[in-house]
Amino acid sequence: MRTDLIPLELQVVSIVVLTIFLLWVMRLVRTQRLSLRDSLVWVVTTLLATLVAIFPGILVRAAHLVGFQVASNALFGAAILYLAVNVLVNTVASSQNAARIRRVAQECASLRAELEAERAARPRDAGTSPGGVPPGPKP
Amino acid sequence: MRVLAIVPAFNEERSIRSVVAGLRRAAPAVDVCVVDDGSTDGTAEAARTSGATLLSLRVNLGIGGAVQAGYRWARDHGYDVAVQVDGDGQHDTSFLPALVEEVASGRADLVVGSRFSGPRVEGAFRSTWSRRAGIRYLSAVLRIRCGARVLDPTSGFRAAGRRAIELFAVSYPPDYPEPESIAVAARAGLRIAEIPVRMAERTHGESSIGLARSFYYLVKVSMALVLLPTRLPPGEETA
Repeated sequence: MRTDLIPLELQVVSIVVLTIFLLWVMRLVRTQRLSLRDSLVWVVTTLLATLVAIFPGILVRAAHLVGFQVASNALFGAAILYLAVNVLVNTVASSQNAARIRRVAQECASLRAELEAERAARPRDAGTSPGGVPPGPKP
Repeated sequence: MRVLAIVPAFNEERSIRSVVAGLRRAAPAVDVCVVDDGSTDGTAEAARTSGATLLSLRVNLGIGGAVQAGYRWARDHGYDVAVQVDGDGQHDTSFLPALVEEVASGRADLVVGSRFSGPRVEGAFRSTWSRRAGIRYLSAVLRIRCGARVLDPTSGFRAAGRRAIELFAVSYPPDYPEPESIAVAARAGLRIAEIPVRMAERTHGESSIGLARSFYYLVKVSMALVLLPTRLPPGEETA
């Protein structure tokens, strides 16, 4: 732990904030508002960030390796890239969901039309099932 | 030869009945399927009482999703030809038999009813100058990009044969689908033809494409035509 790279206070604050963030993600999973599958990317990146907060030397060395003069610039760059990738992945998921919703809505409309045609062909059953209750099997 | 007329309708309460009646007059043997795209007015009820099959989408999917619901219905119920007719009454339904005939004769898999091919029909609506320029541009892009020769690619009055029905049931663009769907069909190796039809100006409601949206329309469709999917989805619908 090389505390001369960043002030100790900042290090402590970072670790606390990251821990709270991690707890929040875990809570979202436990209350089933976030699926375990989708939470993994957040858990892993938060753990990575915590690791960097504990050992800032990692970031400095990685930044120099890529050619950044100042480690904080590398941090900003990486964070922006990470967020951009994240948003793109989410947009892809949203497109897929839109396609699925379209498919389901079309299928629902089709089933409803078939059901109506079926009922119209058997008016006796339709008469005994007001309010949209499906007719039961005939005795 | 079983023919289905697919009529997408979004809040077309005032015109849907006359469109269905017109179709019945023009082609009594044709089944009519109105796709109500989540209308908030009486479109569904008007369609039901007019004797058409009603596909009622409970969420608004946009014109592409609505038309595709019709193509899926045509595919699942064994129709040989499906004709798209707008629910707003713009399309002259007396041209329906001509569109069907072009497909039924085996000359084409997809036939577009065009305002611009053939001699100019007296009193026919051919849109404004700026729109015609946009349409010419789309037509050129289609010809260069996928070799489809269609003079009126934005026309939503068209007939699809069995191959096109099966293609569109799994792969149909969700918004501003008309030019893009021609590209999809051309890419799949379908034969595309065009015959002259007459269209009227809208009598009720507003065009879904205002001036501000025209620019978005051109950009979106241009992009779609440049970025045509490299392969057809295997059964699964694309985004």
